[in-house]
Amino acid sequence: MGEILSKILTYIFVIIIYLFIYSIIRMIYFDIRAMNRKKSGNLADAYLKLINLRRDLDFNIDESYELEDDEIIGRGAKCTLRLPDKYLSVRHCRIYKADGSFFIEDLDSTNGTFLNGDELGDEAVELIDGDKISIGRLNFIFVMPKGVAE
Amino acid sequence: MSEAKSMKPLFYIILLNAVGAALISISGGSRSAEALVLTGAICVVSIICYTVVRFAGFGDPYLFLIISMLGSVGGIMQLRIRTAYGVRQLKWFLLGTACYFLAMLVFLAMRRLLPKLAPLYVGLSVALYAATLIFGRTSHGSRNWIILGGENGLSIQPSELIRIFFVLTLAAIFTSPPAKKGKKKKTDAEKAPRPRLGPNAVRLLSASAVTAVNLGFLLLQREWGIALLFFATYFFFIYVYGASRGYLLLNAAAAVGVGALGLKYMGHIQTRVEAWLDPFADASGKGYQITQSLFAIGEGGFGGRGIGEGSVYFIPEVHSDFIFSAICEEMGILGGFAIVMLYFVLTYRGLKIALACTNRFNKAVAFGLSLMLGLQSFIIIGGVTKMIPLTGITLPFISYGGSSMLTTFAAYGILQAISAIKEETTDEL
Repeated sequence: MGEILSKILTYIFVIIIYLFIYSIIRMIYFDIRAMNRKKSGNLADAYLKLINLRRDLDFNIDESYELEDDEIIGRGAKCTLRLPDKYLSVRHCRIYKADGSFFIEDLDSTNGTFLNGDELGDEAVELIDGDKISIGRLNFIFVMPKGVAE
Repeated sequence: MSEAKSMKPLFYIILLNAVGAALISISGGSRSAEALVLTGAICVVSIICYTVVRFAGFGDPYLFLIISMLGSVGGIMQLRIRTAYGVRQLKWFLLGTACYFLAMLVFLAMRRLLPKLAPLYVGLSVALYAATLIFGRTSHGSRNWIILGGENGLSIQPSELIRIFFVLTLAAIFTSPPAKKGKKKKTDAEKAPRPRLGPNAVRLLSASAVTAVNLGFLLLQREWGIALLFFATYFFFIYVYGASRGYLLLNAAAAVGVGALGLKYMGHIQTRVEAWLDPFADASGKGYQITQSLFAIGEGGFGGRGIGEGSVYFIPEVHSDFIFSAICEEMGILGGFAIVMLYFVLTYRGLKIALACTNRFNKAVAFGLSLMLGLQSFIIIGGVTKMIPLTGITLPFISYGGSSMLTTFAAYGILQAISAIKEETTDEL
């Protein structure tokens, strides 16, 4: 009886270790995703450059974020570009590429998305090099060095 | 990530300690209540430390979590083997936590000064070696203990502390100012080394000299395990810092030469190698340790016999060098693999800190420390599973032993400090 009980508990013991490892690796996975985004080089056509001073912000954020073809920006774990600013909505806005241009669209965010100081309405707006995007406490410059990509 | 998710690992640590305490209390009647209090204390300390690290912005939050997990598993295994060991081990764990944060604060306070102190590290190491040789005591064929305060006094193993000095020395040498091309090299340190002569040659040679001195003393003390560890760390260092292929080969040849001399003239090295090649030839003599270890691992099978159900007392030195065999017997290969994974993740975190770090000296220290502790786990786990010849060193955070526990904690405290500095400097940019 004692033997079986201890065997079962030992299995539970070991499974807990695996669950622990899983939860750590999951957290690390998000880290790596954030790091790849930062390091991948000149491949992307466009990126967002932060213009806030990072020491004014109480959370970790990178200097720039490369944009892929479709990005959901927000605070939630399911966003493709996750920013831990508490003034952002869980799904805040979307930047996507269509016909070689980038467009920005607000996703019904609580505090709104601002393009060059004007709040976005329901419609997507085309981004051009040098546009200022403000979401939550964050201000970004949209940079597309090569102009419109073919 | 939400707060609930980032607290999950902590929850698992507490759960593990609870299940472990339950296992200990059903497996034997006379377990002391002190042990249960101490496992509880580990949970509390883990919670506090994790909260401090995470919310006070001391850098990497995972490092301490993984260490707590390893420490908890170690504490429970020690309690199961002998209550007295377990109680002392858990006390060492709590003291180690203090060391961790102390080392972190010292490193943070002295970080501008530390790269310039290479002669001091060498001096301190030599002093410790000399003290061990003069006042030391021999145990298991190695002269590596200093006993303070009489027969039952505190026994310390200076070579454990020298590990940290050794890494600091190598880091200081390889990031020393003369070569201004260093900046470039740092960024592609992880790439293949390029042959380089001139400024780097001086650094390579001084690193070799320091390593030779260390190895000389270690071999005098017959600490082959730690000597192997130091050499491997040094070898990776020269590889990463751009030694030419010829120089790498020369070093490898020198190591093989020393090994061969040891094999020829040193009795106990011969014994070790014979026991490794064919332990069953003399299973009750030379091969006793390794065969008992293998029997235990075999007995455990996939899921183990259950904590408290194995016959771990047949394994010699079960509480220190052979703890991994006991884990495999009682938790099976499943449990053993989990432990290996924990070390893997821990080493990965250390190397990631090194990669993310912007200061050259700190980068080298982070690389060296995480590499060394990763190699240490490899050497002892490889040893008890008969993958490589057995050399007696401790399994970090699990093996019984105060010196090892405190200095390993201090080493990871330094890593924690480095990860905290990283954030600080990027903020200044």
